[in-house]
Amino acid sequence: MFKLFVDIWQGIVSIFKGFVVTGRSMFRKPVTIQYPLQKAAMTQRFRGMADLRVEKCISCLQCVRICPTAALDLTSVTNPETKKKALESFCFNAELCCFCGLCQDVCPTKAIFLNALYEVAYYKRSDVTAIDLMAPDKYAHVGVLAAGKGKP
Amino acid sequence: MKTTMVTEELIVNMGPQHPSTHGVLYLELKLNGEIITDCRPHIGYLHRSIEKIAENRSLVQFVPFTDRLDYLASMNDNLGFCLAAEKLLQLEAPARAQYLRVIVAELNRIASHLLAISTFAQDLGAYATPLFFAMRDRQKVVQIFDELCGQRLTYNYIRIGGVAGDLTPDIARTINEFVLYFRKMINDYDDLLTHNIIFKVRSKGIGIISKEFALDYAVTGPSLRASGVKWDVRKDEPYLVYDKFDFDVPVGANGDAWDRYSVRIQEMRESLRIIEQAMGAIPEGDPVAKVNKVFRPSGEVYMRTESPRGDLGFYIVGTGDVFPYRLKIRTPSFSNIAALPALIKGLNVSDAVCALGSLDIVMGEIDR
Amino acid sequence: MTPFLMEMAWLVLKGVMALTFIAVSAMFLIWLERKVSARIQNRVGPMITGFHGALQSVADTVKLLLKENIVPTGADFWVWWLAPFFVAVPAIMVFVCMPFGPSAIVCDLNVGILFMCSVTSVSVLGIFMAGWGSSNKYSLLGGMRSAAQIISYEVPLLLSILVVVMEAGTLSMQGIVHAQEAGWFFLKPNLLVAFIIYIISATAEVNRVPFDIPEAESELVAGYHTEYSGMKFAMFFVAEYTNFFIIAGIAATLFLGGWLGPLAPSPVWFLLKAYGIIFFLMWVRWTLPRLRMDQMMSFAWKGLTPVALLNVLVTGWLLVIKG
Repeated sequence: MFKLFVDIWQGIVSIFKGFVVTGRSMFRKPVTIQYPLQKAAMTQRFRGMADLRVEKCISCLQCVRICPTAALDLTSVTNPETKKKALESFCFNAELCCFCGLCQDVCPTKAIFLNALYEVAYYKRSDVTAIDLMAPDKYAHVGVLAAGKGKP
Repeated sequence: MKTTMVTEELIVNMGPQHPSTHGVLYLELKLNGEIITDCRPHIGYLHRSIEKIAENRSLVQFVPFTDRLDYLASMNDNLGFCLAAEKLLQLEAPARAQYLRVIVAELNRIASHLLAISTFAQDLGAYATPLFFAMRDRQKVVQIFDELCGQRLTYNYIRIGGVAGDLTPDIARTINEFVLYFRKMINDYDDLLTHNIIFKVRSKGIGIISKEFALDYAVTGPSLRASGVKWDVRKDEPYLVYDKFDFDVPVGANGDAWDRYSVRIQEMRESLRIIEQAMGAIPEGDPVAKVNKVFRPSGEVYMRTESPRGDLGFYIVGTGDVFPYRLKIRTPSFSNIAALPALIKGLNVSDAVCALGSLDIVMGEIDR
Repeated sequence: MTPFLMEMAWLVLKGVMALTFIAVSAMFLIWLERKVSARIQNRVGPMITGFHGALQSVADTVKLLLKENIVPTGADFWVWWLAPFFVAVPAIMVFVCMPFGPSAIVCDLNVGILFMCSVTSVSVLGIFMAGWGSSNKYSLLGGMRSAAQIISYEVPLLLSILVVVMEAGTLSMQGIVHAQEAGWFFLKPNLLVAFIIYIISATAEVNRVPFDIPEAESELVAGYHTEYSGMKFAMFFVAEYTNFFIIAGIAATLFLGGWLGPLAPSPVWFLLKAYGIIFFLMWVRWTLPRLRMDQMMSFAWKGLTPVALLNVLVTGWLLVIKG
């Protein structure tokens, strides 16, 4: 009988401990941000959309080979005199990309990199499935090194 | 006039879209009143044939796919696969990378357990508050991962032969701050849930997994330890540098839902201890892996690690080709959920939700 | 104009005022609940619509008004269609005898509290109709659970109110308030026990945590109103929050002295007390887990009812001793 009252008392105390926790947290600062109005800064190593420094690319095809989802498509022409390869087209399929970052780690000249842009939305599907990295002016989320598109 | 009343069993389809099935699990419940007389779990709604994909990807390329197995503990999946691959290729990661791997794996264990206990509390009807508390604390872990590797969910941080990025002093400070912060915060969960009388009467004695039952069904992880079996791969078959750390393996007494919950809470404390020791003893060096190697694995290997949900095993067969011949993943959730029908038979719907929540399954891991 | 018509017009006006108050109060409570839960969970809650999201409920109502009304296949149409009214109308009717001030009451019936209790009991019928008519298994389970729960908790609830009636010697709401002029009822030990029992069983009456079994989200999706959408759903929602205000209002009147209080005008005191209780119940909701059906029933029958009965007995003795 006595034990019953002890149990009841402990139960009541345990419930009030819960109230203390929630009551205390009422006076803590909110941890959320108002997303569309405020945006948190992306981290240094954030992996967003694939992007290209066109002049640095040597068309070695390492990124194309390492890509687990075959999201990159690169063609090049070889100069018959100098035997040097020149980039002809570089297509990036953001729909397939899994943002693993293997391409930027494997690139010997740091030509391809993942920029800090997110919220990728376009009106045309082809704008996502076949992003021409050679002509970044056509897209809002690649070519960040050009002026006015945020920092890389 | 004589009337006869005909009663029949009610068949309720719980899921694949239901607030408490933890993903796309579909339970076909046969109810007598509110008592469950039969239960048939249907899986496969999240099947992405990851094992088949592995046969067409090189080992390096497959690492991002392991992120998608157990999406709440991607670091541990990365780790399991990379350790298996390294064992097959007879590689060893630099010492600093090994310490970093331990740190991120334990941080991810905390993040995963936080979600496990809070969704469990949500299933018991503690509206959203424990869930938001857990999300608040998990966010700090995720932020650390974001700074380390640039992603919040699919990390691809642990690579074959090392890790993707080095620890900077800033990140190290964040981790140390998190350990201090969370050691204090974990008491809140104790006050809010662990010792709460309603929480206790709801979860004590529900869904009891006995020692023998657990071993028969190959239940692993916190669910096994809650039944009183002291089995932890980190302790019994140490990998990485786990043998250098001092930590306990918490076990439960009865194997009921409350024990499974409380083992997770205690494991988070142990994880904090491991992180603290690892942060103190981390050696200098370059842990970053070079990814442009082409591996041609041959032979076969099985490597298991302790993921937050239990034994995570990778079995790789290589025939000297770039692609592995076969890759089999032994995921803990898959064998844990096999125990579910036997577990919830005879319980009522509320208790079934409680038993299911306490098993902490992740569908991405079950369906692969 | 005859005096009779004057009186009728005055009654209608008061009724309209009460209805307006119900609508505004339900919206305010929904906003308050979202804000309180947000603060407890370290969030900010609705912020965009109006000052700190004050107009969020208005926006939600407009959205719900514009939504299509979907009738589930196989629904028992009239039962399904009428159910929200059976839930919402009793909730509104109770405001007839809710005393906001010495004269701010629609009609001070001499059986006020009895009227309130009997009218609120009708809403269980609506809940059961919703569960039955939806032709959804979750709704059916929710409806049946709710019926069992509300009927069980009616017993300790009425027994605790009985103590107040014994103490005040009247059933009229204004009479009960006037009886507390010497001191609020909850200050007396036997009435404090009744107050605690009332709060617990009233929480169960309005299906709130830790007794929110009928709409247990993790088990029954949304319980009896799973199949309702648009304005029908809004009626359930408004009825829920109106009932919430009603139990707080009754508690304030019966135990905390109603509109009695110094300095400020009486409606202010009444609302202050009612919203104090509401805030406490919201705090409870965002803190505690849910009990199981059978545990809750045994708590009502084995825990609360004997204590409430004993309390009635003790109060009777005390009254006899006092003479």
